[in-house]
Amino acid sequence: MSKVYFSTWNGESINNIGKPEEEWEESAYNLPAQYDDHRDSRAFIGWDGVALFSEDVDVIRLAMEYAAQYQEYSEACGRCAPGRWGGRILYDVLDKIARGEGEKADLDHLKEIGKSMQVTSKCEIGKTVPNPILDLMNHFEDTFIECINEKKKSKHYDETIGYIAKITAPCTDACPAHVDIPGYIEGVRDLRFDDSLEATRQTMPLAHVCGRVCPHPCEDACRRTNLDEPVSIMSLKRLGADWETDHGFDFFHPLEKKPSIGKKIAVIGAGPAGLTTAYYTAAEGIEVDVYEELPVLGGEVTVGVPEYRMPWDKYEKDIECVKDMGVNFITNRKITADDMRQFEKDYDAVMVATGTRISKKVRCENERPEIKGYWGAIDFLDWVNLYEKFDIRTPKSVQKQQMLKQDFVDLTGKTVVCVGGGFTSMDVVRCAIRANAKKVYMVYRRDEKTIIRNTTYEEYHEAVEEGVEFLFHSAVNKITTDKKDVLKELLIDKFELVPDPNGGRAQLVKIEGASYTIKADYLIPAVSQSADLDLLPEEWDIEMTSWATIKTNGKDYMTSRKGIFASGDCEYGPMTIVNAVGQAKRAASVISRYVQTGEITLTDEEIMEDHLRKLKVYDKKEKITGWLPGLPREHSAVLDVDDRKDNNKEVALGLTQEQAISEAERCMRCYYIAMVQA
Amino acid sequence: MSTTINFTIDGKAVSAQKGETILQVARRNDIYIPTMCYISKTSPCASCRICSVEAEGVDGFILSCNTPPTEGINIKTNSAELEQERVNIMKLYDVNHPLECGVCDKSGECDLQNKTLEFGVAQQNFSAKDQLRTVKDWGLINYDPALCIMCEKCVHVCNEVIGDDAIEVKFGGYSSTIIPKESETLDCTFCGECIAVCPVGALVSSDFKYSANAWELSRVPSTCAHCSAGCPLEYETRHSGINGDDSIYRVKNNFEFTSLCGAGRFGFDFNNTERSTSEDFQKALEALKSAKAIRFSSMITNEEAHILQRLKEKLDLKLFNEDARLYASFMNSYASVSGKLHYSGSLDAIKQADAAIVIGTRIATDNPGVRYALTTASKHNGAKIVYAHPMEDALMQNTVTQFMKYEVGTEEGVMALIANELLKNKELPKEIRKYFNELDLGYLEAESNVGDDELTLMTKSFARAQNKVLIIGADIFAHKRASNIAKLAAIIEKYTDFSLVVVPNEVNTLGVSLVCDLDVDEDLSNVVGYNAHGEFIISSLDGADLSVGALNQQEGTVVSIDNRVLPLNVALPFDGYTLNDIASAFDIKTKHTIDYTKELDSSKGFKSIAFDDLENFLSPYGDDERGYILDEVVCPVDETLEEVAELPEYNGTVVYHANPVLQFNRYTAKTKQLEKDTTLRGSAQFAAAAKIADGDEIKIHLRSGVVKRTFKLDEELKGTIALNPTFDILVDMSGYRFEKSKIVRVV
Repeated sequence: MSKVYFSTWNGESINNIGKPEEEWEESAYNLPAQYDDHRDSRAFIGWDGVALFSEDVDVIRLAMEYAAQYQEYSEACGRCAPGRWGGRILYDVLDKIARGEGEKADLDHLKEIGKSMQVTSKCEIGKTVPNPILDLMNHFEDTFIECINEKKKSKHYDETIGYIAKITAPCTDACPAHVDIPGYIEGVRDLRFDDSLEATRQTMPLAHVCGRVCPHPCEDACRRTNLDEPVSIMSLKRLGADWETDHGFDFFHPLEKKPSIGKKIAVIGAGPAGLTTAYYTAAEGIEVDVYEELPVLGGEVTVGVPEYRMPWDKYEKDIECVKDMGVNFITNRKITADDMRQFEKDYDAVMVATGTRISKKVRCENERPEIKGYWGAIDFLDWVNLYEKFDIRTPKSVQKQQMLKQDFVDLTGKTVVCVGGGFTSMDVVRCAIRANAKKVYMVYRRDEKTIIRNTTYEEYHEAVEEGVEFLFHSAVNKITTDKKDVLKELLIDKFELVPDPNGGRAQLVKIEGASYTIKADYLIPAVSQSADLDLLPEEWDIEMTSWATIKTNGKDYMTSRKGIFASGDCEYGPMTIVNAVGQAKRAASVISRYVQTGEITLTDEEIMEDHLRKLKVYDKKEKITGWLPGLPREHSAVLDVDDRKDNNKEVALGLTQEQAISEAERCMRCYYIAMVQA
Repeated sequence: MSTTINFTIDGKAVSAQKGETILQVARRNDIYIPTMCYISKTSPCASCRICSVEAEGVDGFILSCNTPPTEGINIKTNSAELEQERVNIMKLYDVNHPLECGVCDKSGECDLQNKTLEFGVAQQNFSAKDQLRTVKDWGLINYDPALCIMCEKCVHVCNEVIGDDAIEVKFGGYSSTIIPKESETLDCTFCGECIAVCPVGALVSSDFKYSANAWELSRVPSTCAHCSAGCPLEYETRHSGINGDDSIYRVKNNFEFTSLCGAGRFGFDFNNTERSTSEDFQKALEALKSAKAIRFSSMITNEEAHILQRLKEKLDLKLFNEDARLYASFMNSYASVSGKLHYSGSLDAIKQADAAIVIGTRIATDNPGVRYALTTASKHNGAKIVYAHPMEDALMQNTVTQFMKYEVGTEEGVMALIANELLKNKELPKEIRKYFNELDLGYLEAESNVGDDELTLMTKSFARAQNKVLIIGADIFAHKRASNIAKLAAIIEKYTDFSLVVVPNEVNTLGVSLVCDLDVDEDLSNVVGYNAHGEFIISSLDGADLSVGALNQQEGTVVSIDNRVLPLNVALPFDGYTLNDIASAFDIKTKHTIDYTKELDSSKGFKSIAFDDLENFLSPYGDDERGYILDEVVCPVDETLEEVAELPEYNGTVVYHANPVLQFNRYTAKTKQLEKDTTLRGSAQFAAAAKIADGDEIKIHLRSGVVKRTFKLDEELKGTIALNPTFDILVDMSGYRFEKSKIVRVV
C-alpha cells in the first residue's frame, strides 16, 4: 500500500486530483513513495503505468525523461527497428511539446509510434515504454494541449530535476544475485557465448556453478510461465561458461580491474559469498586476502555439493576466474577471535563469510555425537568430497569413530538413514548410494510435494531412481545402540497431516501405534546447519538474529560493528548459493565505497533494485500477447541410472546446442524500465 | 513421438520438421513473408520485426523468423494490421536515411530501396533529430554508420559463419552502431562477408566504392579459383574507362547460403594480360617436341589436365605435378583399404558435424571454406573440435575445443593413436584388432607427445556426438609415411561413424590427381613448364615464354573438396593461344577445350556430361545444383596396415610452409587488393633459437634452394617453428611442409 496522488499502476485507476491529501485513496501496490532516507519520490513511472506522489509533477517532462532514459540506459535498445527509432521519436516529439514547440498532430504521431512499438518491438522494454507515456497523454491531455496551444514550456522544463532509472526483468528481479538473465540468454540466442558469460559475470562470478546447481528462483518468475512453461534459465547459463572453458580462452571479465586504490580487506571463508566479495572488490582495485580454514577453496560447494552434481574441474574454473581478478587466497587457516582483532587493525574492512558448517541435531531420544554411526551431514560430505575430488584421505580418528575399514568413505553392506528434506540431505543419500551402501533411507516429516518444492523435481526423482527409499511423514524418535555404543536401530514415528478446521495451516499429528523400528548402521542428520561464529570477539558484542546468525539490515550487509561485514549463510542461515552471491555482490559494492569514504551508502541502482524487489516485477496473472504459446521447455538429458549410481560422473549432461538455442528463442526478453522522480 | 508439426499458412496445409521456424516453412512452400534482417545461414537477427505474422487465437503479432510452429496453428502472413505495421517499420528505417542513392554503391540492389517501394512509403510523419556520423575506413572495407540500418546481419555472419568475431553492435538506442570488436580498427581476416550481406550501402568494398553502378555490371557465374573449397561466385565486369577493355569490378556471391574468403572476394584480378606472338607459339611447339616432360601446377582445369595427359601419351612425355601425384598416391592407399576411391565427407558434412578432428593442416589459411564450415559446426551445433598439429593457430581458437599438439614428423604415430582410441570399442576384423593390440602406445605417446589423457579427453568430449568428421590436410600427403596414414584414415572411416575429408591443396589438385597419370618429378633438363617452372614456360602468370589464359579467362571444370565437378566460366576474354591450340598442332584435335568435359575418365567417377549441360546455380532453397558429384568408384580391398615406422625427430629451427591469410599462390600474389606479407613469421622463442630479431633480413636454406625473407616477430605464435609463405615463389613446395632449415642473417 502506498499513498499516491494518481496511479495507473497495473491497471488500477486512482485519481486523487483535486482531493485534500487526507482523503487520498491509496494504491494497492508497494510503490516507492519514499526514495531513500532523505528523499521523497515525486513520481514513479514504469512498464505497467505511472504513479504520482505529488501534485507538482511536470507530467510532460516526466514522459519525455522516461523516453530519454529508455534511449540512454536500455541495454535492450538498439536491437530492433521499432525500438531504436521509435524510442528516439518518442523522446524528440515529447521534448518538442515540452519546450513549447509542439503541434496537435504530434500527439497523433506519438500515439501511432507508441502503438507500433507496443506491437512490434523485440523486447518488452520497447513494447512497454509507450504504456505510461500514453497513460499520461490520456489522463493529462489538457496539460499537453495547453502547452501546445499556448506554445509554452512545460512547467518545470528548465529546472534541474533528479530522474533515476533502472532496467529490470521479472527473472532478474527474482534472482537474488540479480543476474541479467535476458542478457545472457540473448548471448546464447545470438551464439555470442562470450557476451553471454559476461552478462552473467556482471553480478555472478560463479557461472559454472549456477549453471548447474542453482535452485533457480528466477524460473518461478519467468513470464513465459504465463504462456506455457518457464524457460530453462539455469541450464542456459552453463553455455557461456562451458564455451570459455572448452576453448581455453582467458577469462572474460565483464569489468576491467581498476588500478590499486591502496586499500585492503580480509574475507573469511572462500565459499560462494567469500569468492563473490573477493571478485568484485578486487575489480575495484582493492587488495583482497581470503582466508580459508579448509585445505581447498570453494566452501560448501566444494566439500558439500558432490562431484556428480558439480564437477570440481568446472567449479575450479570459476575459482580461477576469481583468482584471475587478482585475489590472494590463504588456505588451511582457521580464523580466531584474536585474528579478527588484528584484522580489524590491519584491514580497511573485513567480510565474514564462514557459512553454516555445524549440522543441527534431529532432536530425538538418545541423540549423542559420540555414538558410532551418528555422523553429521557436513562432516560426512566433507570426507566424501575431499576424497572424491582431491584424493584427501579420511583421517584415522574419523575412520575409528565411523567404523570405516579404509581411509575413504565406503559404506558397502551398510544401511544409512538420513534425516532431512533439503539439498544437503539429497546430497547425503545420493553419496551414500555411490559409496555402495546396501540400503539408504531418507526420513522426512512432510510429503513428496514439499520435498520437491524444497529441492527440485529432478533431484528427488534421480534419488528415487538410484534406489533411495523416502519415508514421508516420518521422524526419528529414538536411537538404540549396543554395548560398544554402536548405532543399531532407529525408532521411527509416523505422522499424518490434519487439516485445521478453522482453515489455518494443516498440522502434523503423530499416528499413535504406527511407529516402527528400522535396523541402521548410520544416522546422518541433515535437517539444517548452524553457524560457528567463535571467530567473533565477544567484546565486539555483534548483534545476532534470533536464529543465531549475524545480523545486518539485509541491504548493505554491515554488522553492528563498523567495518565488519557478513554475507552468505552465516548471515542469512543455510540458504542457496545464489543467495550468498547476491548478498556478497551487494556487500562488495558497499565495501568498495566504505573503504574510501568510511560511509555506508547504496547506489541509485541498488536503491532502485530494492524498491523494485518490494514492488515485485513478475505478475503471474498478466496475460501475454505477441508470443505463440505451446512451445515446450527443453530438458537437459541425464546419465542413465545404471551409468551413474556407482560413480561420480556428472548426472545432468546439460542442454545440447540445438536444445539450448531453441530454449533461448523461447525467452521473451522481458526487460522493463522504471524511473523515479526524486 | 512425431517430429513433424502440421499447421497452415494462409490456409495452405504445411508441415515443419523439429527445429524449423514458421518463416523457414513458409519459404520452403513458396509463401512470401517480407524480411529485412533475415539471413538463412545464421541464427535469426530478429531486429527488423517485419516478418511478424498472425496466429489464429493468439493476441498480438508473432515473429515468424524465430518462432517454430505448434501443431494445428493457423498462420496468417498478411492483414491490414500487419501491413500497417510493416509500412510503419519501413517508415522508421527511412527516418534520416541519407538521400544519396544517386551515388550509393548499393543503389539498384538495395533492400531498403526495394522494400520502401514495395510498401509504398512515399511520405511520412515520423522524424527524429539527425546525428553526425562519420564514415569509417577499415582498410578493404568501408563502413558508413549513417547508411546502416542495424539489421545485424554482418555481425551474425562474422561470428557464426566466418569465425572472426571481429565486429559487434555497440548498443545505444538510436545511436547504435557497428564497431570493431575490442579494437580501434577492424582486425580480421578480411573475408568481406560483411559487405556481401549488408542490405544497404553501409558496408562496402573500399576498392569498388563509387566505381560503378550495380546495373551497369555484367555477371559471370563461376567457381572461385584460389583453393579447393569450390565456392560459387559471380565476377562482375564492365568496360574500364570509355570503350576500354572489360575488367572485373568486383566479385559477389550468393551470401544467403554460401560464403567467400577475401581471396575469392577481393583477389579477382589475376587474369593474364600478356599476349604472345605466333613465333612464341612456334617456339612452344618446338620446346614440346624436344621435351622429356611437362611440369605443371594444379591451377588448371580438368580439361587442360586431360589434354596434358593426351600429350603425354602422344609425345611419350613424363608428367610432373608433385602436388597432385602425392594426393593421388594418398588416395590410392586410402582406396586400398576403403574399397572406394572417394572419401565420404564434404563441407556440408563438416557444417552438420558436432565432432571433428582436424589433423595435418593449418586449415584456416589452407582452406578457408573448411574453416567456415567448422565455425558453423562449432557455433550452431556446439561441435567439439580437436585440432591436432604441431602449431596452434589463433584463428582457430574460437572453433577448436582441444588443441592436440604433436611433434613435427610424428603424424603417423598420432594417426595410429587416434585410430586406436576411436576404434577402442568397435568391432574389427581380427587382423586389424591384432594390429592395434600390438601397437606400442607408450612409445607413440612419448615420441609424438600426445598423451593418453588427451585421447581420453577427446573421447569424453565426443560422448554425445552424432555427426563426426575427420579432416586430413596437406602436411600428410608428402609425409614419408603418407601411405600408411591414408590406410589408418580409411580404417577410421570404415569402422567408426566418422566421415572423412582429405583437403586438396590447390584448386584442382583432386581433379588433376584423377585425370593425369603422373610421374615422379625428376631433375631433368628439357622440361616444359605449364603454369610451373621449366626450360620453356607456358603460363598464365607473368614472364611466360608463351602466355595462356588464367582460370577466370577460360571455360572448364575443376573438382572441389566435395568431389564435385564444377564449371568455370570466362569472366574476361583471353585473346591468345590455349593449350588446346598446342594439342591441335600435335594432332590432338577438338574445337574447344571444353569438348573434353564429357570425355573425362568415367573409371575415376567422371560423368559423360557436356560442359554446356552442366548446371551452375543454387536453388532458392540453397540446394547446390552446380555441376555434379563424382560417381563412386569401387576398388579392390586389401586391409593390410603397415607397422608404424620409427617416429622422426625435428630439432632446432624448423620452418613450416604455410601462407598468410588470403594468399594461396602466385595468382593471389598478383592481385591488387590482397595484402602480400612475405615475411617469415616466428615467435620470440624461434627468434632466440635462430639468433635473429624482428625486421632482420634473412636467408633460409631449404631443400629446394635458398629463399630471402624478412623476419617478423609474431606475438600470436609460440615455439620454435616459423611460418614461411609460399605464395610468392615458384620453387617447389610440394614436399613435407615442415623443414629443418638453416637461417642466416644477411648483414
